[in-house]
Formats: sequence, C-alpha cells, structure tokens
Amino acid sequence: MIEICGLNQSYDRRGGYTLRDINLTIRERAVTALVGANGAGKSTLLGVIANIVRPLSGTVLLDGEDVRRIKASAAAKKLAFLKQTLRLGIRITVEELAEYGRFPHCGGRPRDADMEKIDDALRYMKLSELRGRYLDELSGGQRQRAFIAMILAQDTPYIFLDEPLNNLDIKHSVEMMKIVKRLVAELGKTVVIVLHDVNFAAAYADRVVAMKDGRIMSEGNPEEMITKDVLDRVFDHDFNIAEHGGRRVCLYY
Amino acid sequence: MSARSVKRLNARGLAALFAGPPLLLAVSALYIYSRTYAKSSRLGIEMTPAAFESIIGRALPALAGMCVAAALTAIVSLVFQTVTQSRLLTPSMLGFDSVFVTTQTLLVFLFGSRSEMFANPYLNYLTAAGAMIAVSTLMYGAVLRRGRDNIVFLLMFGLVLSGILRSGSGYIQVIMDAEDFNRVRAATSVTVNNMNTDIILPVLPIMLFISAALLLRHRTYNVMSLGPEQAKSLGVPYEREANVSLLLIAAGMSVATALIGSLTFLGLLSVNAARELLKTHRHLPLFIGSAVIASLLLVSGQGAAELLQGALPVTAIIDLAGCSYMFYLILRENRL
Ligand SMILES: Nc1ncnc2c1ncn2[C@@H]1O[C@H](COP(=O)(O)OP(=O)(O)OP(=O)(O)O)[C@@H](O)[C@H]1O
Ligand SMILES: [Mg+2]
Repeated sequence: MIEICGLNQSYDRRGGYTLRDINLTIRERAVTALVGANGAGKSTLLGVIANIVRPLSGTVLLDGEDVRRIKASAAAKKLAFLKQTLRLGIRITVEELAEYGRFPHCGGRPRDADMEKIDDALRYMKLSELRGRYLDELSGGQRQRAFIAMILAQDTPYIFLDEPLNNLDIKHSVEMMKIVKRLVAELGKTVVIVLHDVNFAAAYADRVVAMKDGRIMSEGNPEEMITKDVLDRVFDHDFNIAEHGGRRVCLYY
Repeated sequence: MSARSVKRLNARGLAALFAGPPLLLAVSALYIYSRTYAKSSRLGIEMTPAAFESIIGRALPALAGMCVAAALTAIVSLVFQTVTQSRLLTPSMLGFDSVFVTTQTLLVFLFGSRSEMFANPYLNYLTAAGAMIAVSTLMYGAVLRRGRDNIVFLLMFGLVLSGILRSGSGYIQVIMDAEDFNRVRAATSVTVNNMNTDIILPVLPIMLFISAALLLRHRTYNVMSLGPEQAKSLGVPYEREANVSLLLIAAGMSVATALIGSLTFLGLLSVNAARELLKTHRHLPLFIGSAVIASLLLVSGQGAAELLQGALPVTAIIDLAGCSYMFYLILRENRL
C-alpha cells in the first residue's frame, strides 16, 4: 500500500513549490493514470515516492514504512521506476539492461531463476530477437521497450512508469497498455502510469489522478474524470467530449 | 571467476586473460635483466652471484611496488570515472599530486624534517591521505553533488587547487632552511626512477586492502555506471557508495603518489586501453585488464629506461602517450 500524506516539494526554495500538499492513497492491484500539463509535477511526485527526489515535508508510506527509512536495496524489491528520460552512460545490450533489473534480487549474480525472469520480460516486450543488440542500435520505441523489460524483470509489486508510451507507435502503445492491464490482472501488480493522452487514460486506467501546478486537482474513476468540466480545468484547454460505442472520448484538436 | 562470468567474456576478453600473465612475466624479466646483466656488461663488471643477489634484493621490491602501485592507479582511476560518470577524468588530473607535495612541505615546515610526523611512514601517510580525503570530499560536495557540468567544473577545480597549492608550497619551501628543503625535495620528487623503496613493504598491505575493497564492489559499480538515478532505483544507495569510493580513491592515490610519484596519465591510458580492448562495461574484467595494462606499461617502460640508461624517461613517454590519447578522446566525444 502506498500512502502519501501532506507532501510538499521544492527544487529551489526561492522558486516556489513544485508539489503542494499532496495527499493520495494509491489503489492496490489497479492501474492509476497520472495526467496533467507539462510541468505539473507528475515526474516529481513519482520521484518523491520512489525516494529519488527529496521532499520538503510530508511522508510517503510504502507498506506502512516511511520510504526515506527503507534501505534502498529493500525498496528496489518493492518498487520499480521507469524514468521519463532514459539515458545511460554506457553502451550495453538489451539483455544486459534487462539483467540489471534483477540486481535488487541477485546482487549482480544472476542464477537460473533470474535468467528465466529476464527471458520472460524480454518475451513479454517482444524483444527476444533483439536481445543481443546494443541499445544505441535500436529505434526509439525498441529502446523504450528494452527499458520496460528491465522494469518487468525487476518483478516488483509496485511499478511506476513515467510516460512509457514515449516513442511508441499506435500499435505498440496499445500493446503496452494491454501489457499493463495484464500485469494487474494476472500478476496482481499495482501500476502508476503517467500518460499524456487522456483517451488512453480513460480506456485503460482504473483510477485517474489529475495534477495541475503541483497540486492534485481531482481524482476519480475514468467516467468521473473524462468530463468537459474537469478536463478544461486541468489542462486549460477547450475539450469536446464525444460518445463512441458507449465510451466517452475526448477531442482536443 | 565463476563459470558464468567466464562465459560472459568475449573472445577478446579470454585472449587478454591468457596473454596477461606471460606478458607480465616477460616485462619483469626485461626489467631484471636490464638492472643486472645489461648494466654489468655495459659497465664491464662481471656479474657475480653475490652481486646479482644484492641487486635482486632491491629490484624485486621495486618491481612489486611498481606493479601494485600501477595496478592501484588503474583501479582507482576506473572507479573515479564511474563515480564522476566521465571517461576523460582521472584523480591525478584534479591536482592530487599537489596536495601530496603540500602536505609534505607543511609537515616539514610545522614539525621539522626529523620529526616523527614526517619521518614515520605511517604517520606521514595518514596525514597525506587525510588531506587528500578532505580535498576530494570538498570537491565532491562542491561540484559533483550539485549535478553541475561535471567535467569542466572538475577540471577547473583541479586547476585552481593545484595552482594555489603549488605556489603556496613553493613559497614555504623558499623560507625553509637548507636541510628541511632537501628532505622535502627528496620526499616529493619521487619518480619511478628513484622510488621510495623504504616504504614499499609498510604500504603494501594498505594498497592491497584498498584494491581489494574496490574490486569487491565491482557489481555495485556496474550498476552505478548506469547513472545515479537508475542506480538508486535499482537499490544502490548511490551517494553513500560514491562517498565511500571517493575515500578509497583518495587513500589509494595518496599511497601510489608517495610510492612512485605522480603519473598523471597512467590511469587514463590503462583504463581506456582496457575499455577498447575488452569492449565491455563490466568492472571486474575492466579492473583486471586495466591493472595488468598499467603494470605492463610501467614495468616495460622502466625496463627500457634502465636499458637505455635513462635516455628515455618513462614518465615522459607515458604522459605523452596519455596526453595524445586524451586529446583523441576529447575530439571523439565532442563529435558524438
Ligand atoms: N531537477 C530539477 N531542478 C529544478 N527544477 C525542476 C527539476 N525537475 C523539474 N523541475 C521543475 O519542477 C516542475 C515540475 O516538473 P516535473 O518534471 O515534475 O513535471 P511533469 O509534470 O513531469 O512534466 P512533463 O509532462 O513535462 O514531464 C517544473 O516546473 C520543472 O521546471
Ligand atoms: Mg514528467
């Protein structure tokens, strides 16, 4: 269970707050979509929960323990975090990257069980054929999938994905979201995912959390959230909501 | 190495694994030959067994000292590159050698050249290492942790630091009396040619300890090379590991400098040669490869220097090669 209480964060005390009084309980075994405009603080919020960004005040409880007190190695067995910008200082292959996902469990000494998890993760992401390729020899979308394979290999109950659909084409985006759904349905994971396409959030998420200027504007089921009223306020944009096949779709262009 | 890690080595890695020991033996033989038979035939003296033994008695510790110090320099440089996330830096570029000169100067100035602080190798070493640790902590706190543009800031830091320290210790040396001055000079102008052989045995365990401490962390360094945030989300407490590593780096640099003087480019050259040769990012093969390459470079260079009676100074050659290589790296990285 992840519970966030009274969280404030600021990168630079003079520059004002990036996160302001965030209170949120993340629903277990469900997909929570985090939406909001650029700079709303979505990545920062994920960073604070994953104990990579330091908050000014407030606490994040991961299974009842303050994340800042949990040992990094123990936290990495519970929570995997795909960053928004994926850059590595080194040149490695897809398989080696996925192998790093096992580091929290095997300390860099993969056993057969770890190798199986790596194989599974690569298969899940349809990367088995590309496993020997260096990351810099891949297309942007393939590279994105390789990083997600690392997250899957980490095999944690909580998975945070910061804009995992970056660089993915329509087909792979839909596949990615189906994989996310399967992670929840088949493996009982709890997923928090930052999405920019509200329609994806509406179609695949169980909960939608909308952020604006460092605050949580509103939170609810997709049906409650995909309304002109909410979306206009969150994004400062003129939305049109249409119905298609019994589902609400928003048009924003 | 376990079966799996051997399997992971590519063909180059395996070739290097097998080529390393014989090459090391060969250059050691060259070194001993040039200090014994080559020298005696040049001077027209017969090499008696007794003379041979007495030379060997001095040459073997020197050989061991060179190999261990070179290996340590390489290991420390690789860790430094991982912690600073840069392939262009080595600790000696940041003015660590001028910290060493300054501590020696200050020790003599404050306590006198006959004092225990200066003459006792352990006390002396502890002070020098302490000063380097302080400097590297300062450097880390001021530059690295802020996530600034690392390379430029670090190099500037090194430049300014060594400028200040060098002129400061130069000034103190001028106002010293002649005996103190000579002792400081003797302690700070160590080079491979006039190694500080007295302290080899006392510092050998320190060097082995530091090397082992760094080698044992190789898996952690693999993860750290992915970058601070990736490493943290994979459960490596990055800041703590970086701090511990910097302590060990400073301690290692101070022994190596006390023993063989400063070889600015040895670390850079051997680490990057190992990277090119082994084509891997894993630290264990890189540690071993760069340590072997550094020892090979230093011992063969020193053997050649003895053979040619110092007509060919090793340090100059290593620095020249290292410097050109660094230029090449800078040009290449900039193009990418
Ligand atoms: N490392 C940092 N240092 C200083 N300010 C930062 C840093 N990272 C983010 N910010 C600022 O904090 C605010 C929130 O950024 P954040 O990355 O959390 O937004 P986001 O919602 O993820 O946006 P996007 O959709 O563009 O990814 C922005 O105003 C940004 O400029
Ligand atoms: Mg973001």
